Amino acid sequence: MTTKSEFATANRELNAENRASLGEPPTAEEVLAYSRGELAPDAQARIRERLMVYPDLLRTLTAPFPAPAETDHPDYLSDHEFTRHWKALQKRRQRPRRGPQFSHAFGAIAATLAVVLGVLLWRAEAKLKKPQAVWEQQDLYPDGRRGVEGAPKALTANGESYLLVPALGSDLTAEKLRGEIVDAANPSRTVWSSEAVPRTSDSSFVILVPRDSLKAGTYRLVVYAITGERQEPLSSYTFRVPAR
Amino acid sequence: MTNEDRFPALFRKSYKRIVRFYVLSFRVTEEDAEELTQDAFFRFLEAMDEYRGDAEWAYLETIARNVAYNRIRSQKTAKRGAEMIDIHDRNAIPEPAAPVEPDYAQREETVLRSKRLRDAIAALPLGSRECIQLWLNEFTYDEIAKFLKISVDAVKSRLRDAKKILRARLGDPNALPEDEE
Repeated sequence: MTTKSEFATANRELNAENRASLGEPPTAEEVLAYSRGELAPDAQARIRERLMVYPDLLRTLTAPFPAPAETDHPDYLSDHEFTRHWKALQKRRQRPRRGPQFSHAFGAIAATLAVVLGVLLWRAEAKLKKPQAVWEQQDLYPDGRRGVEGAPKALTANGESYLLVPALGSDLTAEKLRGEIVDAANPSRTVWSSEAVPRTSDSSFVILVPRDSLKAGTYRLVVYAITGERQEPLSSYTFRVPAR
Repeated sequence: MTNEDRFPALFRKSYKRIVRFYVLSFRVTEEDAEELTQDAFFRFLEAMDEYRGDAEWAYLETIARNVAYNRIRSQKTAKRGAEMIDIHDRNAIPEPAAPVEPDYAQREETVLRSKRLRDAIAALPLGSRECIQLWLNEFTYDEIAKFLKISVDAVKSRLRDAKKILRARLGDPNALPEDEE
């Protein structure tokens, strides 16, 4: 005869198998929604299925909860017991909580950063508001057509900015153009990116780059052609910024 | 009376019972149960404005269950089945007794039998399967009914069906007698 204990063992094995396929137990929030009947029938069934394989978790929902004790019952806290447990609870309430602590620290860092960035922005804006003379434009030719492979153009500048003028084809039909400067050694690092600007009648695209914004190194300017929702890279231009 | 005034009274009449609820239902130590109880009351205090005054007990019950659920769930998701043993403690790793090895045929028989039982349970209709699985996990009829949101009579009926199907499928008319609790 097969005993209940043998069935129970088989059932535990079955639960273990199902746990492997059903994954983590539901969260407390999901369980609460299940208990309150707030879920759609299929979601309700899924939570039930996942809970079924975690009987000890399921027991937290079904274990009989006691009724409150009457004042004259031994389970009613005496004054002495009340004082002891109450003090422990108050102590816990006064304990600094991690959340707010983190928030304060985060807030302080954010405030400091905001001040620093504000000052930098103010200085940059003040600099940009002054007239700047740029008397040397940097004509950039598309990669692969420079003629001298492997030697990116070295920028030269006498003022505070570089004037980049990428050569674009004359037969452009795109509605808008957009430029992006990336680190040539690590193209996923975008150094600067422009808004999409409408293409002019002569298809010129000129970028004024403050010298301070580019450290010495090799960069790539990528120009994108945008038509409607579609954006595709048009040409790329590798250039080198020499040390000042 | 404000919620702040009502809280100490609720604390006095429920503290010990909630500690006992944790000890009996989840087999935790008295110390752990005290910790869980304090946690439950702490959360209750934090969220006191959310409950309607007349439903405080139900609200406390929800929080107390939730605290237990989170504790057990975090233990499960942290390190599944990892048992910490001090490698310097010789007593922690007892010398295992030499097992009585069943012969190959006997082992095979046990494996096959266990698989047959698992398959038989898994093949039951959903309602009956849920009931028998919970019953095999030692849940009472009331608890099964509460979880599945059905009546106790429905639980008994589904259990009868499940046992009947299992007996027939396994060809074992004496398995799981009706009066077995």
